[in-house]
Amino acid sequence: MDLYDSEDRLQIFPEGNTRMRREVVQGLEDDHELGDEFVGENTLRAGVSEYPPYVMKRRESAREQRDWRFGGEATEAEDLSFGGWGSRGQCQDLREAYRYTRGRSSEEYECYVIPEEEDEEEAPDIFCVTCKTPIRACEKVLDEHKGHEVTPLDKALENAKDEIHKNMFKLERQIIEMENFASHLEEVFITVEENFGRQEQNFESHYNEILETLAQKYEEKIQALGEKKKEKLQALYGQLVSCGENLETCKELMETVEEMCHEEKVDFIKDAVIMADSNRLGKFLKTKTDVELSTQPDFEDQNLDFSDVEQLMDSINIIPAPSAPVINPQAPNSATGSSVRVCWSLYSDDTVESYQLSCRPVRDGSPQEDQAAFTVTVKETYCSVTNLVPNTQYEFWVTAQNRAGTSPASECAMYMTAPSPPIIKIKEIRSCEEAALICWESGNLNPVDSYTVELTQAETPEASGVTESVVGIPTCESLVQLQPRQSYTIYVRALNVGGPSARSKPAVVHTTGSYFHLNKDTCHPWLTISEDGYTVVRSERKAAAREQLPSNTQFTRCVAVMGNLIPVQGRHYWEVEVDDCLDYSVGVAFEDVPKQEDLGANCHSWCMRHTCASSRHKYEFLHNKMTPDIRVTVAPRKIGVLLDYENSKLSFFNVDISQHLYTFSCQLHRFVHPCFSLEKPGCLKIHNGISMPLHVADY
Amino acid sequence: MALKQISSNKCFGGLQKVFEHDSVELNCKMKFAIYLPPKAETGKCPALYWLSGLTCTEQNFISKSGYHQAASEHGLVVIAPDTSPRGCNIKGEDDSWDFGTGAGFYVDATEDPWKTNYRMYSYVTQELPQLINANFPVDPQRMSVFGHSMGGHGALICALKNPGKYKSVSAFAPICNPVLCPWGKKAFSGYLGLDQGKWKAYDATHLVQSYPDSQLDILIDQGKDDQFLSDGQLLPDNFIAACTEKKIPVVFRLQEGYDHSYYFIATFITDHIRHHAKYLNA
Repeated sequence: MDLYDSEDRLQIFPEGNTRMRREVVQGLEDDHELGDEFVGENTLRAGVSEYPPYVMKRRESAREQRDWRFGGEATEAEDLSFGGWGSRGQCQDLREAYRYTRGRSSEEYECYVIPEEEDEEEAPDIFCVTCKTPIRACEKVLDEHKGHEVTPLDKALENAKDEIHKNMFKLERQIIEMENFASHLEEVFITVEENFGRQEQNFESHYNEILETLAQKYEEKIQALGEKKKEKLQALYGQLVSCGENLETCKELMETVEEMCHEEKVDFIKDAVIMADSNRLGKFLKTKTDVELSTQPDFEDQNLDFSDVEQLMDSINIIPAPSAPVINPQAPNSATGSSVRVCWSLYSDDTVESYQLSCRPVRDGSPQEDQAAFTVTVKETYCSVTNLVPNTQYEFWVTAQNRAGTSPASECAMYMTAPSPPIIKIKEIRSCEEAALICWESGNLNPVDSYTVELTQAETPEASGVTESVVGIPTCESLVQLQPRQSYTIYVRALNVGGPSARSKPAVVHTTGSYFHLNKDTCHPWLTISEDGYTVVRSERKAAAREQLPSNTQFTRCVAVMGNLIPVQGRHYWEVEVDDCLDYSVGVAFEDVPKQEDLGANCHSWCMRHTCASSRHKYEFLHNKMTPDIRVTVAPRKIGVLLDYENSKLSFFNVDISQHLYTFSCQLHRFVHPCFSLEKPGCLKIHNGISMPLHVADY
Repeated sequence: MALKQISSNKCFGGLQKVFEHDSVELNCKMKFAIYLPPKAETGKCPALYWLSGLTCTEQNFISKSGYHQAASEHGLVVIAPDTSPRGCNIKGEDDSWDFGTGAGFYVDATEDPWKTNYRMYSYVTQELPQLINANFPVDPQRMSVFGHSMGGHGALICALKNPGKYKSVSAFAPICNPVLCPWGKKAFSGYLGLDQGKWKAYDATHLVQSYPDSQLDILIDQGKDDQFLSDGQLLPDNFIAACTEKKIPVVFRLQEGYDHSYYFIATFITDHIRHHAKYLNA
C-alpha cells in the first residue's frame, strides 16, 4: 500500500476561463478553503464528499489546457510514488510541503517554480486576505477586491511560510503515526497468519483423523457385509445341493414305479407290494421335502454407528489438550516458614481450564519415590502452598487440563520453605557503649544460608525507631555497632533461598556502660554465682583439702572467676561493690591467664588487691607480682574499674568519693576480661550498665 | 596595688608572666608568676596556686616543673608566689636557708621582728587571691592549691584551715607534721614563739583532727629516695594515719627511686594538674 499516492492527495484544476486559478487540495488533513470563487456556491468543507466526480471531470480539461503543468505534477507524483512511504527523504518532505503550500494559496511559489507564469500575467504585488489570493495593487480598486483586506505580499509570504512549517510538523507527526500503525499492522498480519496456519493444521489433523476413522469403519462394514454374503450363499448352496439330491431320488423312484407299470399284472402286484412294503418309498414319502428357504435373500437391516465419528466431528472445534506447563524456579523471598508460592506458565496458545499442582518433600537431598504427597487443583498459574515444614525442600510439578485432556507433567522444581525464627540467647548478650555481641541458636535442624540482625532504636525524641539491618551473617553470632547511651530492640532472622524467617523474639540492649557475664567455666569451685549472675559468693566453709587439678579454663588456686567482656576496643567501665574488711582482688586478665596463679602474679593480669589485717587496709596494684607503694586513707566500698584500650590504661576509683586510686599503663595487645577473686569468705557484687562517671573521663 | 609586669613569655599557646607589686600584708615588693592559658583569652578560668619549698622564688616552679602543657590543656591559671618577704632588712633574715628569706613557712608570724613582714599565710590565702581575682580572668569560686615540701605543708594547711575554699589540694613531699620535725620546730619557734599550742594551728596532721566532714580529695606524691623523708623532716605516715582515722580521702603514692628534687616534681606534675582539673573543671 502506498499511503502517499499523490493523485489521491492533490489535484490541481486551473480554470481556463478565469485569471484566477482555483486549486483544490483533497485528501489532506486540513481542507482549507481555496478558490474563493467557489465559496458562494459550493463550500468546500461541506462539499468534499460530492466533489470528486466533478473534479475528475474537470481534470481532463485541465490536462488539455495546461499540459505543462499537469505533466510536471505527474512527474512529481511519480517521484513520490517511487519513494514509497518506507523510505522518504527530507527532500521529499520539503517537496510535499512546497506542493501543499502552492496548492493552498501561494501564487508566488508557483511563480518561482514556473517562470512562464510571468509571461502570461503581470506579477501580483499585494495579497488579498479576503480572497486569499495575490493580486496586483491596481486590482485593489476593481470591484472584485473592493473593500477587501489586503496585506503586502511579503507579509503574506511570511504567514504562508509559518503555516507551511506548522503543517510540515503535523505531517511529520502523522507520518510517524502511520509508520507505527503500519508496523503494527505487519505484526497483526504475521499473527493472523500464524494463528490461521495453526488452525489449519489443527483442522487438517482432525479431518484426517475423521477420514481415517471413516475409512476404517467402511472397511469393517464391507468386510462384515462380505462375510455375511458368503455365509448366506453357502447356506443357500447347501440347500440347493440337498434339493438336487432329493430330486434325484424322486426321479429314480418315479422311474422304478413307471417300470413297474409296464410289467405284467402279477409282477406288477408283486412288485407293487414289495414297493409299498419296502421302506425306501415309504421313507422317502415320509420324508418331508424341505422347501423352506433356509436363508432370507434380503439384507438384514444393520444400524450404521456414526456416534464416534460425530464425536470426532464435534471435537474439531475444540482446542487440543494443553502442552506441559513450564514451572518457574522459586522466586527469592517468596516463601514463609510454612508456605511457598509456586508459579508456572503455559504456552500462549494453550487453553487451560485448570492446573493440578503436585508436591512432595525432599529428604536427605534426594527425592523420595515418585509419589506426590498431595495435589491441588487451581485455576491460576500460581498457588500458595501452606502448612509446610520450615526450612525444608519440596519438589513441585504441575499439569494443565482442558476438556480435551491433560498435559504431560512439567519439569520438577525445587522450592524451599523459609527457616524457623532463631532464638536469641538473651543471657549471653554482651554490650558496651559502641557495640553489642548478639548470639543465638539457629532454631533449625538443617543449616540455613545466613542470618540477619535487625535493630530498632527505642523511640526517643532524637531517634524515630528506624530499623537497621545487618545481613549475610554466616554464624550464630554478630557484633553490631551501636550508638552510645541508647536502647535497642534486636531481632534475628534466618535466611535460606526461600526467604527470611519470621523475626525471633526480641532482645533489648542498652548501650549505657558495658554489660558482661561471669563465665561459669572459669569459676573456682569454692565460689558461687548468684541467680542474677552478678553476685560472687565465697561461703564460710572449711577450705576443702582436695587439690584442684590444673586447668586451662578454671581457676584452681586463686578463688576467682572471669567475666566475658565484649571484644571491642574502646573504654569499658564497671563497678564492684565490696565489704571494706573483705580480702579481694579485682582487675583484668587475658583469657589464657595461668589459672593456677594469683591475679597480678604474672604479666597476663592486672589487679587491685585489698587485704585487711587488724583493721589496717592494704591496697596493692599488682601486675607481674609488683605493686607501687600506695596508701589509701578511705577504704572504698565501691570500686570503679575503667579499662581503656585506646590509651592502654586500667584505672581504679573509689566511686563514692570520686577518688582516683591508681592507673596501670598496660600493653593490651589482646582482649582482656574482668576478673574477681575472693581471698576470704564473703561476697562482692558487680554492677554493669553504668555510664562512665565524669570524674573518670580524664584518666 | 599596681602591678608591674616583669616578664611575659608565650608558652603552650598561653603566656607565662611575672609581676611585681607592693604587698600590704608583707610590707614589701613581692613578685609572683602567673600562667594564663589560651582559654583565659575568651573566658574566666579556675585558679591553681602553687606554693614552693624552702629557698625557692617564683622562678623555680615555672622554669623547672614543666607544668605548662597540662595547665594549657586543662585551661588552668596557675599562680606561683614567692616563698617569703624579701629585702625587709630584718636582722638574721638571711642567716640560714631554712629560716627567714625563702622560708616563710606560710604562717602569719606573731613574734618580733618577723610579725610585720612574715605574714605569708594571709598573703597566699587573702591578699594574693584578691589581687589575682581583680586583675586576671579567673573565676573566684574555683581555686585549688598545691605545693612542694614547705609549700606542700602550706598547701595542706591552707586547704585544711579553710574548708570549702579550695576545691582540691595536692602535694609533693610535703612537710606533713612540722611540729615534730626539725625544720618546723625551728621555723615555728621563730615565727610563732615557744607556745607549741599555737604551732598546731599550722600543722596539717593536727588540722586533720578538727577538719569537718567535707569532701576534700588529697593527692600526695612522695619520692622513696627523698633524703628529707629519711631525715624525718616530712613525716607523711603521721598525716596518713590521721587521715585514715578521720576518713579524710588521701591517696599517698610512695614513688620508688625518686628524690626531693624538681625532677621528681616534673615526673608527676601532670597527675597533679589533672587531679586539680578534675575538681576545678567539674
